[in-house]
Amino acid sequence: MTIDFEFRKQVMDYHVGSDLIKYCYQCSRCTDNCPISAVTIDFYSTGGYNPRANILKALLGYKDLIFDADPLAIWGCTVCDTCDEVCPQHIELTEIFTFLKNRSVEQGKAPEFIYGQAKAIFESAKAIPSQPAIERRREQLGLPAVVAPDVNELQTLLKNLGADKKLK
Amino acid sequence: MTEYKMFEGCTIGNRIPFIEAASRKVFEKVGIDTSQAAFSCCPDPTGMKSFDNDAWLAVGARNLCLAEAEGKDIISLCNGCTNTLRGVKHQLKHDSLKKDKVNKELSKIGKEFKGSVDVKHFVDVLKENLDKVKAAISKPLSGLKVACHPGCHYMRPAEWMESDDPMRPKNLKELVAACGATVVDYEEEVLCCGSAITNAYEDYGLANLKTKLDSIKKAGADVICVNCPACFQQFDTQQRDLSKKYETEYAIPVLYLTELYALAMGYSPDDIGLKFHRTRMKSEL
Repeated sequence: MTIDFEFRKQVMDYHVGSDLIKYCYQCSRCTDNCPISAVTIDFYSTGGYNPRANILKALLGYKDLIFDADPLAIWGCTVCDTCDEVCPQHIELTEIFTFLKNRSVEQGKAPEFIYGQAKAIFESAKAIPSQPAIERRREQLGLPAVVAPDVNELQTLLKNLGADKKLK
Repeated sequence: MTEYKMFEGCTIGNRIPFIEAASRKVFEKVGIDTSQAAFSCCPDPTGMKSFDNDAWLAVGARNLCLAEAEGKDIISLCNGCTNTLRGVKHQLKHDSLKKDKVNKELSKIGKEFKGSVDVKHFVDVLKENLDKVKAAISKPLSGLKVACHPGCHYMRPAEWMESDDPMRPKNLKELVAACGATVVDYEEEVLCCGSAITNAYEDYGLANLKTKLDSIKKAGADVICVNCPACFQQFDTQQRDLSKKYETEYAIPVLYLTELYALAMGYSPDDIGLKFHRTRMKSEL
């Protein structure tokens, strides 16, 4: 098990609340209140989705341990932000998890849904593209048509940021 | 009168527009003016943000630029869109390096993010207009037992949502009570609907949903009231699968706050397209 000091530094720098993350004392309030931990782990297991363990591994720079594990270990997060609210140290856990997810996407290890939604946004500027059946229903309901977004502008923005290269 | 830029979002605009229909009717009765803009996806705070945080910031900031160009605040019909637009504004306000990076990209498409407009969730706007809401109620929903689910992104993270208590929310309950219905408390009120996890891991999503719905059933609710299209879809479309998987009946109708209001303001179920719900309404409505 190797410690990646560069990765460790990135995690520390990513935490907007400065160096608070260094003072996580592993109390486990995050995991105890996490709805997905509740349905994926029992007392004795080391698998499943465990926010406390993610913070520990990120904090120690155990990069391989994080990204070589079952993707559930990162992608089990349902982004409910409950951990952020219950953490006694005010660590913004969800922001750290965003960092981990972004790196996982670059390695091609995210769930298909994530790539699929990003692709839809890249191609149509909407996560859910407009469809003729729904357009007709809008009309029946007396609703104005959705104003079409500027897809070219969005694609320019995403290409310049290199986001298009991460699509599958 | 203040006019807001309407941000209906991808899910309501392009999948379940009947919620926009009810919302527009209620806004009209209450006197909330809106106009449209060519907004793109917000983008999704659970999907696109997890994909690439910088891309999420840039696309979100571009949407804010469209409202800034007209000098009008945004009214959002969705928890996710509100969370993204407020979150983008928050990150850019507190991180000048990111703001410079985003503005450098935006300048290439002739835009600049300033941070000059506010983003409001429709629940908060209705709450500000509670007197007018009450005055518009003509058919109080007396006797209807409602379980409220405000949803995670309406109030969390509290740091940038600034809407309600993050673990003991009360706004939605107060608004539901205003139309004469009875709010029933239940143990798992702040539990996530699990929409984001269901997209990737359906089994865990349904296990979470079961905990939530068991708690709502135990409280004896007639309907679930929500203010987010992701939560709406999770409850409305997944109950059938949940019933099959656990061999137990789950069939609690789900109403958007504005649908509940539209009914209490005298509109018929047909006026607002209630027939498009997957989990059927019971006759008492």
